[in-house]
Amino acid sequence: MTTNQSGTNKCPAGAPVVDFDLATHNRMADSNAAWDQLRSTCPVAWSEDNGGAWIVSSYDAVSEAFRNWEAFRSGRAVRTIPGPGGSPDLLPINAVPVQTTALMIPEELDPPLWHPYRLVFMGLLSPKRVAALQPRVKYWVTKYLDDVIESGRCDIVETLTSGVPGAVVLEWLGFPEHEWHRLGAAFHNMSSYLPGSPTAQHYLDELEWAFERIREEVTIVRQAPRDDITSYLANIEINGERTSYEFATGMVNMAMSGGVDTTTSVSSAAFVHMHRHPEDRQRLLDEPGLIDSAIEEFLRMYPPARTHGRTVVEDTELGGFLLRKNDRLIISEVSANHDEAAFPDADKFIIDRFPNRHVAFGVGPHRCLGSHLARAMFKEMLTQVLERIPDYRIVEEGLEEYSNWTALGGWSKAPITFTPGTRRL
Amino acid sequence: MKVIVQANRCQGHARCLAEGPDVYVLDDLGYNSTNIDHVPPHLEDQARRGALACPELALTIIED
Repeated sequence: MTTNQSGTNKCPAGAPVVDFDLATHNRMADSNAAWDQLRSTCPVAWSEDNGGAWIVSSYDAVSEAFRNWEAFRSGRAVRTIPGPGGSPDLLPINAVPVQTTALMIPEELDPPLWHPYRLVFMGLLSPKRVAALQPRVKYWVTKYLDDVIESGRCDIVETLTSGVPGAVVLEWLGFPEHEWHRLGAAFHNMSSYLPGSPTAQHYLDELEWAFERIREEVTIVRQAPRDDITSYLANIEINGERTSYEFATGMVNMAMSGGVDTTTSVSSAAFVHMHRHPEDRQRLLDEPGLIDSAIEEFLRMYPPARTHGRTVVEDTELGGFLLRKNDRLIISEVSANHDEAAFPDADKFIIDRFPNRHVAFGVGPHRCLGSHLARAMFKEMLTQVLERIPDYRIVEEGLEEYSNWTALGGWSKAPITFTPGTRRL
Repeated sequence: MKVIVQANRCQGHARCLAEGPDVYVLDDLGYNSTNIDHVPPHLEDQARRGALACPELALTIIED
């Protein structure tokens, strides 16, 4: 680390300067090690990489930054920095912008505009409403395991951890079943591959198709309402008026983008973890009552969203440094979750860790809206795998990590073998 | 025992409900905004765990 005094670059005077390019850490172990190193030396630092940004990595600073929505904004419209990585049409919640994507509502709004849209989703995804969705969660986990259980092999990502969130969320939204696989794959694979690779380009095109499908469905249900969540969102009245077409598509995009690939990440990581740590799998088999605390510990160790971006809108101190208006911040959930100051033995999986106030879903007003549904899907997948294919083994040579661990992390492929079982449906 | 809820800190994580299902009550949107004036002795452990689990530090336990 150096301290900038010259003011010759974009670096704020006096800021501790690090070279920290998230995009170069393209394996989980490398990315985690880089965060550990940065957090231990410089929990709030400035990096010139990717257009220049403050990098926030300790638990306390991350929590403070997430909570201070007045100073650190999530809204896309506030992003006005010129130059590389600073175009206003880039996605501000992505720490390292990789592509232009469709607007997400409410995450990319700030109060007061944000507030009524937030309440719409709070109502739709409250603990009570998620409990009412539980039979659908259980059905899809049961069915997708049924599809492979007699064969003794499958790719657990494709079958279960990608398949289930896709089915639950897209059925809830009212998208036709024959499109679920393609829609789910578009979001899942978009997260998996390094920008610039031919595979990533293919899935960027697929993602564009998904956004087009959202626009088409919103158009249809605004003309002829249906009994599904897309229709409910697209026709919602805010302050006495039906919301705009742009905001309607933004809400459906939020539900789809947030829903179909995030639970995938942590549940895949949990299945890989239990393969590599048989003692933790055995403990869960012996003591199923530990599943809820295990879920929190998986979320702590393997948070799907690793970083989020914010924009400073008024000069504000964080971690002893003055952040200036229009500076960018990269806030790291994964680093906060591995902070030894907040989590003793942070690098260890402690199945009954308590308290476990991890920030896998963020904290503050923009905390993940889908957290209750995510936990419900994750728990049902974990429960049925432990009940039905408890001896599964991952075929290591087929295991494939995301090549991109900047904003999301996860597994693209995880082939498994297991003792065949019987169908339930 | 009492529980003081700072409603302006609550973001609806529902961790209090997960740890203290017989103590905590959330509204229809999933927020906790209700102080508890008296926690029955047999539920004090649930109340404590619920407060400790809150990632927003919105709950304060006042022991008698």
